Amino acid sequence: MKTTVKYLAGLMLAVLCSAAAVNAQNVRPEHKELIKKMQAEEAAKLKKAEEERKIENPTGDDATDQDVHSKVGGDEKYIMLPIPGSGKIVLKYMFLNGSASDPGGLEGLTYLTASLMAEGGTKKMTSTQVKDFLYPMAARTSASIDKEAVVFTFEFHKDHAEKVYPVISSLVYEPRFGQDDFERLKSNQQNYVDEVIKASSDEHYSKMALEERLFRNTTYQHLKQGYSQSIRSLTLEEVKAHYKGFFTQNNLIIGIAGDYTGGFAKTVENDKAKLPNEYPPKPDFVHPEMPEGLQIEIIAKEGALGAAIYTGTPLQATRAEDDFAALMIANSWLGEHRKSYSRLYQKIRQQRSMNYGDYSYIEWYEKGGQNMLPLPGVPRSLNYFSIWIRPVQTAAGLNKQIADQPAGMPADKDAEQDAGNDVEAGPESQSREIEYGHAYFALRMAIREMDKLINEGMSAEDFELTRQFLTSYMKLYVQTPEKQLGFLMDSRYYGRKDYLAEMENLFEGLNLEDVNNAMRQYWYTQRMHVAIVTDAAEAEALAESMRGGEPSPMIYSPALREVLSKEILAEDEEVSAYPLEIVNVQVTPSELFFKEPLD
Amino acid sequence: MKAKLFLVLMLVSGMGSAREPGVAMQRVLPFPIFETQLENGLNVVTVPYNSPGVAAFYIVMRVGSREEVEPGKTGFAHFFEHMMFRGTEKYPKEKYSEELKAIGASANANTWLDRTVYHMTGNASMLDKMFELEADRFMNLKYSMQDFKTEAGAVKGEYTKNFSNPMMKLYESYADTAFVNHTYSHTTMGFIEDIIDMPNQYEYSTVFFERFYRPEYATIIVVGDVNQDNVVGMAKKYFGKWERGSYQATIPVEPAQNELKRVHMKVDNYPAQLVLSYKAPGFIDTSREAAALSLLASVIGSEKSPLYKKLVLEERKVRSFDATYFFTRDPFLFFIDVAMVNEDDLQYVKDEIDKYVREIIKKPVSKEFLEQIKSRLKYSLAMRMDSPDAIANTLSYFTWVTGDPQSVNKFYNTLKSITGGEVAAVAEKYLKPERLTLATISSSETQTIK
Repeated sequence: MKTTVKYLAGLMLAVLCSAAAVNAQNVRPEHKELIKKMQAEEAAKLKKAEEERKIENPTGDDATDQDVHSKVGGDEKYIMLPIPGSGKIVLKYMFLNGSASDPGGLEGLTYLTASLMAEGGTKKMTSTQVKDFLYPMAARTSASIDKEAVVFTFEFHKDHAEKVYPVISSLVYEPRFGQDDFERLKSNQQNYVDEVIKASSDEHYSKMALEERLFRNTTYQHLKQGYSQSIRSLTLEEVKAHYKGFFTQNNLIIGIAGDYTGGFAKTVENDKAKLPNEYPPKPDFVHPEMPEGLQIEIIAKEGALGAAIYTGTPLQATRAEDDFAALMIANSWLGEHRKSYSRLYQKIRQQRSMNYGDYSYIEWYEKGGQNMLPLPGVPRSLNYFSIWIRPVQTAAGLNKQIADQPAGMPADKDAEQDAGNDVEAGPESQSREIEYGHAYFALRMAIREMDKLINEGMSAEDFELTRQFLTSYMKLYVQTPEKQLGFLMDSRYYGRKDYLAEMENLFEGLNLEDVNNAMRQYWYTQRMHVAIVTDAAEAEALAESMRGGEPSPMIYSPALREVLSKEILAEDEEVSAYPLEIVNVQVTPSELFFKEPLD
Repeated sequence: MKAKLFLVLMLVSGMGSAREPGVAMQRVLPFPIFETQLENGLNVVTVPYNSPGVAAFYIVMRVGSREEVEPGKTGFAHFFEHMMFRGTEKYPKEKYSEELKAIGASANANTWLDRTVYHMTGNASMLDKMFELEADRFMNLKYSMQDFKTEAGAVKGEYTKNFSNPMMKLYESYADTAFVNHTYSHTTMGFIEDIIDMPNQYEYSTVFFERFYRPEYATIIVVGDVNQDNVVGMAKKYFGKWERGSYQATIPVEPAQNELKRVHMKVDNYPAQLVLSYKAPGFIDTSREAAALSLLASVIGSEKSPLYKKLVLEERKVRSFDATYFFTRDPFLFFIDVAMVNEDDLQYVKDEIDKYVREIIKKPVSKEFLEQIKSRLKYSLAMRMDSPDAIANTLSYFTWVTGDPQSVNKFYNTLKSITGGEVAAVAEKYLKPERLTLATISSSETQTIK
């Protein structure tokens, strides 16, 4: 009973207004009892309202506000993409509830529930038996969990459709929820948040730290895996209740692609009725507040090799808006993911070799470190613009590099003068002990480039070339049946039939002014959150310099500096003092992140 | 777990004679692989595939960190891969970028032990332009000192990015321990000292290009909405004048390992890791030992393995568990890698692995178990082959290891008849303590297991 109350309380929290959500995000043990009482009352109200709606409208067909997302039509919840001859079948179940539906204090509950569904067996078969059964057929099962959606993807050979389907569909319709699997998966989830995320990739860490700050006091704030504290408290009963409450037939889009028969497709469609005919509460998707100026969070991590930087600012446009097409062109020119011809990449990496790459985004990009092309299955209604600056050198790294290559070692004095080393911050000024590395300069460089783009606008040639590029490039998003299906399903989420085809049409109708206007309307450069994961040894010096708005001269190794052009060095001068509207700089020890919501 | 280890190891980042695929051999790939060798030695592989308007264009260079035989030059194959994007006289880097953008392709490159692969996937109607751009840089690469030194910094940035992961540091350490002579002793990124020194290696970079960027090191693979005649025609037009070279690196031979080696890293606040890496033979597509080792990896580390079920699912002492036999040109390593729940169980898990290996040597696994593994490998491959890029990628793997894209079919043919006895035999022969490098991460100062 205790867990039920706790769970129902959680359900309620997801539908509270944003102010209530603030409370939920900051739940403390001493407040729990009071909050539970409030939650129970609200849940009862919700239940009563639900009953009344059912009486008025037993089918729920035309009650759009009962739908979990109003843009998904009742007749568009089954996407079929026949590809005869492809040999395999792809089946996707997209539930329109993600980590944003986690009740306050139970962050990570959706993730654990979905993990148990994918990995925990069925009512009839244990997880071991399911793995054994699917193994020789190489049937693939996976779960993708994000803020607003959970997508289960199953891929199998058409020869195995009749054998495989009863088992994989049972993972969705009749999950086992065994205690052993619960303990195992919860432990892995706990370990990921406690240790792995902070130790495996500083750049991913900075991205997650940015979201923790940017979405403060909203349902988007927490890691989808939850907080150390909240995961620890999750129980199997809460998982079961969450499954019943949120993984319902009214919350689901099914997609099927490949070499399937009509009879098979019908079975898949009909089986949806095995889920409860309920309408889960929808979280309150309130945009986070625009930051005042630049809000900089420096995460001090002992021994970090580089400074990993992510910046972000709320963006009031998604794929649902036609303006998104114009923003795509602007963003592609500025920072197309993993492309050497984008502006940020050229300025920061190609000309100055400060890091491995620099990109910008107008929506969430899943697993950007591992993928060249975007993945489907992560639709979001709350977007933000972001800049990803991959790890740049820290003070320790620069000091070592300069010590290993002392000034003048390979230098040719004439060449040095030709290269323009008469500007300030030359080798002489580099002989000082460096207190912080390239992070400040890189941030200035990125924001300056974005400012220039917005203020000066894109050139007509760049507009045409970028539009041409994207028109061709976006076709590569859907090279496999799985990707084709995934992007179609995402399209439905945004109220579109086929997002990629529609964007292509929109590109055709755009002109340069549309793109320049869109940037001015939607983009903010000096109102951003910035997360920097860096070496604890330089964190305070970096913070102090930023607080004072001090210049951040670019530091090169002597070997590089001697060959750089006058133009680059002169531009460095300008960048080093480029004004940033820094309002707040905070240094947080790494160990404090993701334990619980930060204030 | 496989993904984890794989990511850590993989870095990173005229007239010709045409031949049909062998008809006697049953193909695991349901598409014909057409090959044409140009007079200059360049192999051109075409696989027509139903992907309207899309083609994948790969160039496989059989040069990787294996070829880095000179002291102070570790990481150079990877560095050079970066330099290949720095332009030519005809297409200086800005112009090259502009042309690449106009193609609208997904293009990149990567380097590993035995190869460097350059790939573009895009509009099939732009294939001629892809050929032109690629041929120009492969034959006429020209970059300034400034570009060279600048790119060296980007490589250091890549090192910085990768080495925030303790597993990368561990791999760097145990590769260096396991190998004393062979170039597999260093990672593809190279040692940090050599990376820092890269800006001073401009002259050597021209030597590297002259040595290795030659047609006899290259295979072009084109998959998708294309036909062989057109592809070969473009290859001849653009790559026909590429001149053969003569250089062959002398790869140091690794002496037999005769004793167990150990590597340990103390890392706090990170799940304890156990990596068992046994010296294993290089890959030959018709080798029964290589096929048996591939099956052995699944016998030990797959979800079907009794050991996996026991340690991961039943006892929950292990978070992830996997075994891998990598296909490499020279003898490399057979890995068993484990992420622990509790570091106190390291000894127990190591003992359980040893016990299981002894069991499968003593009593070979059942035919049924083996058939299930073979079935999975077959269907996994078939299901992955669903795009031009995926097919080209698979063919490139076999090409860089053996030089022959048909190896994919040969290997799966060999695999079919491997018996449990042969799997037991390779386990007995290769999974011996004296062939082992035992690597661990834990919060202890020293390695705590026997």
